Amino acid sequence: MSMVKLVNVRKSFGDLEVLKGVNLEVSQGEVVCIIGASGSGKSTMLRCLNHLERISDGEIYIEDVLSDKRANNKDLMKIDPVTVQSLCTDLGMVFQNFNLFPHLTVLDNVTIAPLIVKKEDKKVAETRALDLLSMVGLFEKKDEYPSRLSGGQQQRVAIARALAMDPKIMMFDEPTSALDPELVGEVLATMRQLAEKGMTMLIVTHEIGFAREVADRVIFMDGGVICEEGTPEEVLLNPKEERTKSFLNKIL
Amino acid sequence: MLTEIQLWAILNGTIVTIEIALVAIVFGAIFGVIVALGRLSKNKVANGLSWFYIWFFRGTPLLLQLFIIYYAIPIIYLDATGITFEVNPMIAAFVAFSLNATAYLAEIIRAAIESIDGGQMEAAKALGMSYRQAMTKIIIPQTYKRLVAPLGNELIMLLKDTSLVSTIALFDLLRTTKTMASATGSWIYYIYAAAIYLFLTTIIQVVFDMMEKKLGIYER
Repeated sequence: MSMVKLVNVRKSFGDLEVLKGVNLEVSQGEVVCIIGASGSGKSTMLRCLNHLERISDGEIYIEDVLSDKRANNKDLMKIDPVTVQSLCTDLGMVFQNFNLFPHLTVLDNVTIAPLIVKKEDKKVAETRALDLLSMVGLFEKKDEYPSRLSGGQQQRVAIARALAMDPKIMMFDEPTSALDPELVGEVLATMRQLAEKGMTMLIVTHEIGFAREVADRVIFMDGGVICEEGTPEEVLLNPKEERTKSFLNKIL
Repeated sequence: MLTEIQLWAILNGTIVTIEIALVAIVFGAIFGVIVALGRLSKNKVANGLSWFYIWFFRGTPLLLQLFIIYYAIPIIYLDATGITFEVNPMIAAFVAFSLNATAYLAEIIRAAIESIDGGQMEAAKALGMSYRQAMTKIIIPQTYKRLVAPLGNELIMLLKDTSLVSTIALFDLLRTTKTMASATGSWIYYIYAAAIYLFLTTIIQVVFDMMEKKLGIYER
């Protein structure tokens, strides 16, 4: 079974075509790191998976279920909001800017979606949330508001918040790009922990060292297509494509 | 000094003033949210209706709106049905002030909603929330603090604008004191009126300042 499958996915914003036919299949437990210059379509690809952006053409499958099928910006299948909502809960997402809810405490940030989307019992949701906060090392911050946390702590809460919905796939959109250098490590450690537990992960990142260490597969995107893919050794150490080589030269 | 009758008259006028302002701010805030959501809606009908509502009620004088409701509607009704009826002036004032406040508050609320970072809606959607859940649990609660100051502003404006109701046979604070001033030839009644207006607006200012501090607790 594939967890995520994109078939010939295209996405345009007006005249600007950001994805120009992407094909990708991710299997269960696989950790895929996506690298590439800004504007290459990495983030857009993730955002299309959970319908934050709608694709222009192509098909998307989540756990072998068709979740979107469009051509020329028109739906080729009926999109039922309830189905989309339940597919979104199978895809957890962590954003570059954390996007914690500032008016809620750390604990409430983690419990709100289980409470109102899944209608979970409050006690059950809180117990689980506290477990998750312990896992990311922030149990003692449960009653603080996000504004009192460092960037690294906020991002770890955001990871706990996404995990509270019991996602089958976790997507990370440049999770450490907005962090001060000394805070990057703690977030990567949390992600490494998740990878070791067998979570299926799609990670857009500029942390090449991290990608080498945890990725099962590395994808290099350029100009809206997947330019090269393979094991970290293949793509990061012995790239075949000229564009991959020049990108790696620039950032290393 | 004031006689007992004068004192009661001024008190009654003050109550009329407070009642109209409070009714208008409460209904204005409730309907203001609805009109604001209409303006933010992708639905063309909802959007157009909300736009038209704000365009009309913000674009014409409140006094004119008051006249239409109090004077014009009974005449239109008489022409159409041949039946005469009178609009209770207090009801007319409640309706006109509420409709007018709705238009202003709708724009204030719309701007407050739009000022919330777009990442909040995305995070809510990524967690599986519907638009409605995201609005009621995530977006709108974050606007409260930003709404307090303009809401206090609007309430103070309303309180002073209630003096317009003297034109439809209502005795508000200003008309009551003006009548006394004309009858006695003394300017002191204007000072009383000014003191009461200032007293009321001071309370509003203090209460709203406190609310703003309390609601901003999460911004440390």
